[in-house]
Amino acid sequence: MKGKKRLQKSFVYGLLIALSLLFLLPFFWMVMTSLKGPEELAQYPPKLFPSEWHFENFAKAWNSQPFNVFLVNSLIVTALTTIGQIISSTLVAYGFARFKFKGRDVLFIILLATMMIPWDVTMIPQYMEFNLFGWINTLKALIIPSWFGSAFYIFLLRQFIMSIPKELDEAARIDGANVFQIYYKIYLPLVWPVIVLIAVFNILGSWNDYLGPLIFLNDQSKYTLTLGLAQFKGVHDVNTNGIMAVTFLISIVPLVLFFLAQKKIVEGVQTTGLK
Amino acid sequence: MKSGLSASITPSSIQMKRKKQWSKLIPYLFVAPWIIGFVVFTLGPLLFSFVISFFDWPIVGEKKFIGFSNYTTMFTNDPMFWHSLWVTVKFALFFVPLNIILALLLAILLNQKVKGSSLFRTFFYVPSVISGVALAMIWGSVFDGEYGILNYLLSLIGIEGPNWLNSTSWALVAMVIASLWGQGTLMLIFLAGLKNIPQDLYEAAEIDGAGKIFQFFKITVPLLSPTILFNLIMTIIGAFQQLTLALVLTGGGPLQSTYFYAMYVYENAFKYFKMGYSSANAWIMFLIVLALTLLVFKSSSTWVYYENEVKNDK
Amino acid sequence: MKKRKMWFSLLIAAVVLVMSACSSNNSSGDGKKDGKTVLRFATWDTGDTLKIQQDIAKAFEKENKDVKVQVEAYGDGFDQKIAASFGAKNPPDVMYMWDFTTYNKSLEPLDGYVQKDPDIKMDDFYEGLFNYSKVDGKLYGMPAGFSTMVVYYNKKLFDQYQIPYPKEGWTWDEFKEIAKKLTDKSKKQYGFAVTSEPDTYDLQGLVWSNGGSFISDDGKKIDGAMNSPETVEALQMYGDMVKDGMAISTGGKNQQSASEIFKANKLGMLINGIWPIQGYKDAKVDFGTAMIPSFGSKPVKGLISSSSISIAKDSKQKDLAWKFVKFYSSEQAIKMRTADLPVRKSIVEETKVNEDPLYKPFYTMLENATNTPAFLLNKNWNEINRNLSAAINAVMLGQDGKPLFDKAVKDSEKYLDK
Repeated sequence: MKGKKRLQKSFVYGLLIALSLLFLLPFFWMVMTSLKGPEELAQYPPKLFPSEWHFENFAKAWNSQPFNVFLVNSLIVTALTTIGQIISSTLVAYGFARFKFKGRDVLFIILLATMMIPWDVTMIPQYMEFNLFGWINTLKALIIPSWFGSAFYIFLLRQFIMSIPKELDEAARIDGANVFQIYYKIYLPLVWPVIVLIAVFNILGSWNDYLGPLIFLNDQSKYTLTLGLAQFKGVHDVNTNGIMAVTFLISIVPLVLFFLAQKKIVEGVQTTGLK
Repeated sequence: MKSGLSASITPSSIQMKRKKQWSKLIPYLFVAPWIIGFVVFTLGPLLFSFVISFFDWPIVGEKKFIGFSNYTTMFTNDPMFWHSLWVTVKFALFFVPLNIILALLLAILLNQKVKGSSLFRTFFYVPSVISGVALAMIWGSVFDGEYGILNYLLSLIGIEGPNWLNSTSWALVAMVIASLWGQGTLMLIFLAGLKNIPQDLYEAAEIDGAGKIFQFFKITVPLLSPTILFNLIMTIIGAFQQLTLALVLTGGGPLQSTYFYAMYVYENAFKYFKMGYSSANAWIMFLIVLALTLLVFKSSSTWVYYENEVKNDK
Repeated sequence: MKKRKMWFSLLIAAVVLVMSACSSNNSSGDGKKDGKTVLRFATWDTGDTLKIQQDIAKAFEKENKDVKVQVEAYGDGFDQKIAASFGAKNPPDVMYMWDFTTYNKSLEPLDGYVQKDPDIKMDDFYEGLFNYSKVDGKLYGMPAGFSTMVVYYNKKLFDQYQIPYPKEGWTWDEFKEIAKKLTDKSKKQYGFAVTSEPDTYDLQGLVWSNGGSFISDDGKKIDGAMNSPETVEALQMYGDMVKDGMAISTGGKNQQSASEIFKANKLGMLINGIWPIQGYKDAKVDFGTAMIPSFGSKPVKGLISSSSISIAKDSKQKDLAWKFVKFYSSEQAIKMRTADLPVRKSIVEETKVNEDPLYKPFYTMLENATNTPAFLLNKNWNEINRNLSAAINAVMLGQDGKPLFDKAVKDSEKYLDK
């Protein structure tokens, strides 16, 4: 029995390591490419390591445009949209998951439906609207809409809230708590892992968003990192080293945040502990 | 006035009634942020795109009302419509089930109690962090027929790989593989869902002598079903909106073999400047995806299990 | 629970921090900034070429102290951004432009401005360039820079195989001979590179040189042009070179590009414009340039890729915009544009760039560039081009050309008279 367990364990480890290699390979390839000289980009057999390490590629790429400014803008947008999404999406998801009210199902279908229309065709009218508000060429165009919830996060949270036993809030109600207290004191702590999950998704989503900034921002002083990145890829020429180097640099922030946050996600929604 | 009725109302019952009305309002208060956001930011542009789908609008220039013409052209006189729809369906048929199964298996693997699980979780998520052009370039150098890593590795074991992205039969396969790489989001959602399943259920099953496979189908799948529903719907929507990878990696080629429906919508708008037509395309896509979603939702009552709903609905 | 409180206070701190950051971000409307008038200028240039644009803008600001030129660099996203901002009636004041048949209705005609400003010296520009920014006889853009197409060849590889460098007046038969010699599949080394999904625009020089074309000169007919034996033969030649193994087929978009293979010394020859020349130098490739080969005794035809700058019709400060356009077309600014070829003859005379052996073939090709590209001849070219691209794509992947081009003609005829 013990031998079987050990065999099982080493099988799991083997699989984990093999898959990790598989998933890390493209990332590793990206880092190595960013360190190569331009003459080494097309080699056969493919060379993993550069024959000469061009560490200056990073500084060269980063300093070629005001990337520090772009970084600050990206940080602002990412932080503010994430906070907004968390606050609004938890409220709305709780409303959809825990109450029966007139029009709920229709509203929910509409909510889902908003995800099914590609942005290509609503982008121009939205541009006009934001222009009317005076939000074009400001970060507001990227930030403010996220304070009104997003269908993806609301739907995700709803699924988790619905799997929490309802006896919980009945017990709390008997203790005299009102709905907002139940939401705040009971449900928020319970779905905390999902909230962290949403934060992770939103950080990554808004950090990597390209189309939104492209359409709504004009002045370089307002650009986010992805727009800065786009300045390595022109119509006639592509700076492969630059793209790889900057993509690696800007992926550090979400990766570190993810590493710090992932423990929270796997804590689990602690329904059992509170019974 | 119905005097009989008013006589029976006592002050306390008015208060009760108010309270009741107030409590009727509460759910709307919770969903209010989304409703306001929808009305202010989304509804207008949606209506605009719907109205414009009945117009000929070259973006630069005047709008001209043409009735249902965009829609009839699409169905009767535009082979690219059917072609791109077919490409998308082919892609979705492979991508949706594979993506869900892969993400679930990876999540189960990560759910094992092992040392260094934090690191493994991060490693598995790494491909999802890279975005846009860099991702496309990486895939370009992986799949390249002559200098690519994949074909080099294949050649080491004696297989001559195809010219992936330049082959009408392999490009879509390459696209599915590349899309599967970014399963991190789904995997995380599954992982969170798995952690949500009370461990004592497994312990009880173990005591009863149930095998792992029995546990998987009788405990894991039913209790994970709300999450599976979510991932299924999101993957379907995602498959139909698949654009970036095709746009930056193959440009829809070779010979339009990776020309997804979303790309068709995009190109009609921003390459051929037919915004009205593109809007009509988008609304047809909307109807298809909506129908699929509703179908999944309807079926969900038979296979999705919410812990509270059983008591709730009775 | 304690941890959670910490998270919350972190959140609050972030909110406060960011709110304060935001409040300084408020002065962002259009029009004025720090008491200066803001002029929006959108470009698709990137990297070092973008720096040139920024320097020109700064030079303009130096002469006009009350103006701030906002250089908006959209790179690859240029087309989409410009389309969206035109659609929403909020375009940049001045922008790069090439697709005049699509945009001319939203652009300001410049003829009036040019007439009022004789010191712009219109006759100093290469006359042919104006064809690219004129629609129905009206001028919508000032030439900013251009390039022709030439053959780049790797001297190291030529020396290695003891092949003499290409000379003016060489033919495609000689070209193919050389390409065959330079190919060594075991080393993944090829004589030439053919893109499987080329921009049809770039192939027009080839087609013209064989006496073919995509569309009749009056822009009204494609039958007998797009599917003429000359057109088909020229394009088929590219596809056959791939089939015969002397050329590598490179993919579209972000796949391994011919330029990267050239930089790795694995490619003998490729055809390109002036743009990657600096990149090749940076990669320390020992290369030369030559004019495009001819089909037997037929005359070689050149192809110009030009960019112009235009003023939006919706601009609220057209006079200032013109001032900038004029500055941009001035000798001072043109001299700063070193990434492509100068549009003013006087600059060429002064810098003698056309005598530099690397640059000379570009000017030889310019002399031959007398044909008008298809997109200027028919306003529905975009639609027609969709079918043509599909046919060319198939030919490059090894299919037989004639029936494909016949089909492309048949599928496109409906767009001709619209």
